[in-house]
Amino acid sequence: MEQRSRGPGQIGRRHRRPSGEAPPLPHELRRSGKFWIVMVVYFVSVLIGVAFFQPLGRIFDRFDTQRLRWIANLRTDSLTDVVLFVNLLASRWTIRALRWGTIAALVGFRRWRHLFVFLASILAAEIVAYQISTLLGRSRPLGITIIAPWEGYSMPSRPLVGLAASLVGIMYAIVVPGRPREMAKWVVGGLILSLLFARLYLAVDHPTDAVFGAIMGIAIPLVAFRWYTPNDVFPVTYRRGKSAHLDVGGRRGEAIRRAVQDQLGYEILQIKPVGLEGSGGSTPLRLRVAATEDEPEQYLFAKLYAKSHVRADRWYKLGRSILYGALEDETPFQSVRRFVEYEDYTLRLLYDEGLPTPKPYGVVEITPEREYMIVMEFFDGAVEIGDAEIDDAGIDEGLQIVRKMWDEGLAHRDIKPANLMVRDGKVLVIDVFFVQVRPSPWRQAVDLANMMLVLAVKSDAKRVYQHALGLFTEDDIAEAFAAARGVASPTQLRSMLKQDGRDLVGEFRALAPDRKPVSIQRWSARRVVRTAGVLLLALVALLVVVNNWTVFA
Amino acid sequence: MRRQGRLGAAIVSVGITAMLVPACGGVYPQPLTCGAENTNALILMAQAVPSATLVPCIAEFPAGWSYNGSRIRSDSAQFWLDSDRAGFRALEVELTESCDVSNAIEVTTGARVVPGVRVYEEPLSLPPTFQANRYLLFPGGCVTNLFRFTTGASATLALEAQQALSFVSRSALVEQARKETGLSLCGAEAPPCPG
Repeated sequence: MEQRSRGPGQIGRRHRRPSGEAPPLPHELRRSGKFWIVMVVYFVSVLIGVAFFQPLGRIFDRFDTQRLRWIANLRTDSLTDVVLFVNLLASRWTIRALRWGTIAALVGFRRWRHLFVFLASILAAEIVAYQISTLLGRSRPLGITIIAPWEGYSMPSRPLVGLAASLVGIMYAIVVPGRPREMAKWVVGGLILSLLFARLYLAVDHPTDAVFGAIMGIAIPLVAFRWYTPNDVFPVTYRRGKSAHLDVGGRRGEAIRRAVQDQLGYEILQIKPVGLEGSGGSTPLRLRVAATEDEPEQYLFAKLYAKSHVRADRWYKLGRSILYGALEDETPFQSVRRFVEYEDYTLRLLYDEGLPTPKPYGVVEITPEREYMIVMEFFDGAVEIGDAEIDDAGIDEGLQIVRKMWDEGLAHRDIKPANLMVRDGKVLVIDVFFVQVRPSPWRQAVDLANMMLVLAVKSDAKRVYQHALGLFTEDDIAEAFAAARGVASPTQLRSMLKQDGRDLVGEFRALAPDRKPVSIQRWSARRVVRTAGVLLLALVALLVVVNNWTVFA
Repeated sequence: MRRQGRLGAAIVSVGITAMLVPACGGVYPQPLTCGAENTNALILMAQAVPSATLVPCIAEFPAGWSYNGSRIRSDSAQFWLDSDRAGFRALEVELTESCDVSNAIEVTTGARVVPGVRVYEEPLSLPPTFQANRYLLFPGGCVTNLFRFTTGASATLALEAQQALSFVSRSALVEQARKETGLSLCGAEAPPCPG
């Protein structure tokens, strides 16, 4: 690696990136990205040319037929039998079997997002292919004997679109990223190429139809899966616990090392993904950093955020604002930079207020406006509260966290066992991304209820209630349990309560004074407009499907 | 972050799944008009049955009749006409290489005769629900007109529907393809194709 000089502007071992120097991980299209862009541009240009300039169509017809005649020279009886067998890949039943199998697998694994993207991308590919074939109305190859069954116009090759879209969808929805997916890419590529050759050998498609069909079938699901189910946010995994498929090795790993060294002044010795199962909103990492002049070798905790996380957050917030309304009134972040800036701010705010949260170390830029990492203290030796013993002091500490946040006008908004750690008997709170300044009273009340429930799971309701009376009034507690209903509690906490078996919510409500339930459904003009907008879009989507019914009929 | 709307996703998924059952099918909307400038649809129809020396097409639409779409595949081609009185897809026209006329009676009068075409009729049910098949046999092919009228529709509408239909000769399409692309529309009335 190039030795970078240290100038007078540097602090310690940090390095300011001068103008013109590439960021740690430059955004590049890479060869595959450039290839697909060139292909799409090429075919779109050709389609426009053929649609509006007939002589171009004739040129392509002659070119295609010439190629088909070359290939037809290879025809022998035995090879034809083999190729007809390969052509079964284009059969409706093969494609249906692939799709049904994938749908069944995705339902079985409850991977709803992947299922939705799979279905939507296949629908989109089929509809676009059908519309293009109708628009162009290209006949089957002329000037050569067609020796296999076909249906409809030939441009683009719809069997190739169908097969490629199904296989690529399977690859992204079912196959684990990393080596298995790399291998799957070769298999899928081989199958698509085999079918492509078979279609040309049998002269059912023109070469341009087949190639365009394959490109469309690959490009549509590929873009859809990369956009809506990025690996970092929605990983495909069949193992519980930590998975090692996140791309923090290779170029990104190098970039993280260089960025942390340059921007924070720490030399990374090891990068390890941790706690992935509890985090859908970022890629959590444990960094082992070398000793510096002032600090010994230590662990740091880091969360890697990419644009995909911002998009996921946007959808999540849209869903919540429609489902729950004004009480969850939140503005989505417009960029990943704002995203990490906000978390860094909340982290510093809570730390400055003396709450037991990780010490912030700052934000690291990996790729400008695309990828950032927030670095903080790693609670080495701490265990999740669910795995720790809690005594009276621990109960007080947990409740004190909520009291402190109430006093400072804050709400954590994600109090659950995974976000409460215990080290040497001390309760610590992590994951402050959802922290809100001056939140609604409802949200603060929910924080209290969730904290009391977490503590009660580790002890009992009566004991926690008695301790809570030392910091909160009876009315506060009554409000908390009037507010904490159903979805107000995080999923992890709800499943923990279910496993516990005791009706802890009921017990707390019995201990506290009676209070009318606080509604979590609040209506506002914004909620109405958003809901109407989403319904309208759904209706438009439905109409598109209905208008293209003949594709499926 | 929590995954939401699982039930909704499941419902949508099931709905869309139902649509995905048939893959790659398709009914095309372009009318198969006899004198059309763009003959691609007719050429495709001719490709479906390479032996057919005639290809059915639509000469004119009588009042109240409209085009419903076509499905063209190797070995057969179909298109449908709707009627405001006889109903949805009241007439289906199918081109195949051959057809079974063993239950039909040859008609020599009353039919709009095209030279070289033999006409057979097979009444299936009389009004109030008129249903009948009409076969038009010619060298290398057969066109079947399937009349499936809604209850109450007059059988005389079948005569109207027949006015809509005509033929284009394969030789004309072969010539058209040759002129447009310099390539041969393989099959009857064209030189043998390689492969």
